[in-house]
Amino acid sequence: MELSQELRITGVKINYLYVCERKLWLFDRGVCMEHTSDKVLLGKLIDEFSYPKEEKRRILIDDLICIDILDEEEIREIKYSDSLEEPNRMQILYYLYYLKKLGIYKKGILNYPKQRKREIVELTPEKEREVEDAIKRVEEVIKRETPPPVEKKKYCRKCAYFEFCFVSE
Amino acid sequence: MFVIITYDINEERVNKVRKILKRYFVWVQNSVFEGEISIGKLEKCKKELQLVIVPEEDSIYFYIIENKNNYAKSILGLEKNMDSYIY
Amino acid sequence: MQKDLYIFSSGTIKRKENTIYFEPKEGEKKYFPIENISAIHLFGEVDINTKALNFFAQNNIIIHVYNYYGYYSGSYIPREKNVSGELLVKQVEHYLNKEERMYLAYSFVEGALFHMQRNLREYENTEEFIFKIKQELEKAGTCNDINELMGCEGRARDAYYDAFNVILKGKFLFEKREKRPPKNPINALISFGNSLTYSAVLSEIYKTQLNPTISYLHEPRERRFSLSLDISEIFKPLITDTIIFKLINNNMLKDEDFDQDVNYCYLSESGRKKFIKEFETKMDTTIKHRKLGRNVSYRFLIRLECYKLIKHLLKDEIYKPLKAWW
Repeated sequence: MELSQELRITGVKINYLYVCERKLWLFDRGVCMEHTSDKVLLGKLIDEFSYPKEEKRRILIDDLICIDILDEEEIREIKYSDSLEEPNRMQILYYLYYLKKLGIYKKGILNYPKQRKREIVELTPEKEREVEDAIKRVEEVIKRETPPPVEKKKYCRKCAYFEFCFVSE
Repeated sequence: MFVIITYDINEERVNKVRKILKRYFVWVQNSVFEGEISIGKLEKCKKELQLVIVPEEDSIYFYIIENKNNYAKSILGLEKNMDSYIY
Repeated sequence: MQKDLYIFSSGTIKRKENTIYFEPKEGEKKYFPIENISAIHLFGEVDINTKALNFFAQNNIIIHVYNYYGYYSGSYIPREKNVSGELLVKQVEHYLNKEERMYLAYSFVEGALFHMQRNLREYENTEEFIFKIKQELEKAGTCNDINELMGCEGRARDAYYDAFNVILKGKFLFEKREKRPPKNPINALISFGNSLTYSAVLSEIYKTQLNPTISYLHEPRERRFSLSLDISEIFKPLITDTIIFKLINNNMLKDEDFDQDVNYCYLSESGRKKFIKEFETKMDTTIKHRKLGRNVSYRFLIRLECYKLIKHLLKDEIYKPLKAWW
């Protein structure tokens, strides 16, 4: 599959697809809540202050994909919490997929500095199909006219969008 | 939460430390700051301080009060900053 | 969590050591924590330069300016960071569509009138006023245009203000609402309190993607951030008026808190400071939100109102105004 020029999907959107479709839709429309959240700030701090010795940090590719750390062999994504492993994995797989389309082949590493944990992620043909499927699903979600309804998940209370979603009076 | 900060810092670095603290808290006495702050902002402040201090020589204490109602302040002598945000 | 900073003294406000620095003409120079301030209210005669303004913009700090008499005169709002083109389009659509506009306009009136009645229920001998407000609310539900609706709101508000003499036990006599200029202490208190509420609502709108100039009950052409006027309607009785009742009924105000003459009455600096202290206490007061199951402050209730409005505009959930349940 060719990456269409118009369909410019950021890594965050792939991540959100697996976290919550409603969050993805709102984020896509610019109705963002991240700036209001203390948890998001904590995440940013981990990102900024972990691994101070690395040089190639926050590399922006095609004005679209933002990679936390770029190494010879691998790309690294730093996350605050390992409680949402699947979304994080898909985000880095998407980066690997994107780089592959540009002719760059690397491995992915997910860093959880707080938990002192790391996970290696590799793009297999099977994972590649999963990424392509995810891209299509992102497209479908953001095509909707109205936001997907609230779906209660166990991590809703920690989300920056919690108050927005659950206030009703 | 409400935080009270006291510090003992080598003279060479004390201004740098004070400069960071001034951005987050109200300066109440010579080596004392206080103020209401979120967990995220406190963490940000600590990270900035870490880059400045020498852990073998300097120390900064953070006294944390989760609920501001659980603290009372009484003063002898001169009171500065009665209402720190109405001036 | 973040605080509002109120400057009454005259002097210069600067960027210094990467935070806010105030140099008064007389008195002690002071630093204020930039990371912990979300808005600055200027009451004094304050000088400010572009270096400071740029710095405040970087830190998303709004500056509200009040005139000599303590009334809102304008705001310095940094470049909008929270923009949603789609939401703006929806906001305009709901203004242009008469039915949609009427629904929202009615909702703001409904919230306002609910809270007026709620205030009056706290006091004895207010039944006749409550009844009048209730009647106007019923009429408001059948209005066909904004003017009619504004009429209902106005009559309800008259009945509400008539009840003030009962609530305040004649401590300050209140004849009628006068704005330009206010001529007695009650009018001065109402005007000042509403100015504060208005700027607090504007500060919260700024933290969301709503455009503050497009409104439903008030006309957007009022040359103000009229959405702030709309949302303020719900909160004025809940915030401004309860503070007025407290200040007066607890004998907290003295002659020197007013600056009074035959033709006008304003709050003096001491009066304004007293009001602001109560205002900030109120805004920081928390209640347990029954849908969110967590404590929220009055200030955050305003933000929640903005969220509900966004949800309505996005056809996510129909807007119902806040009706204080506690």
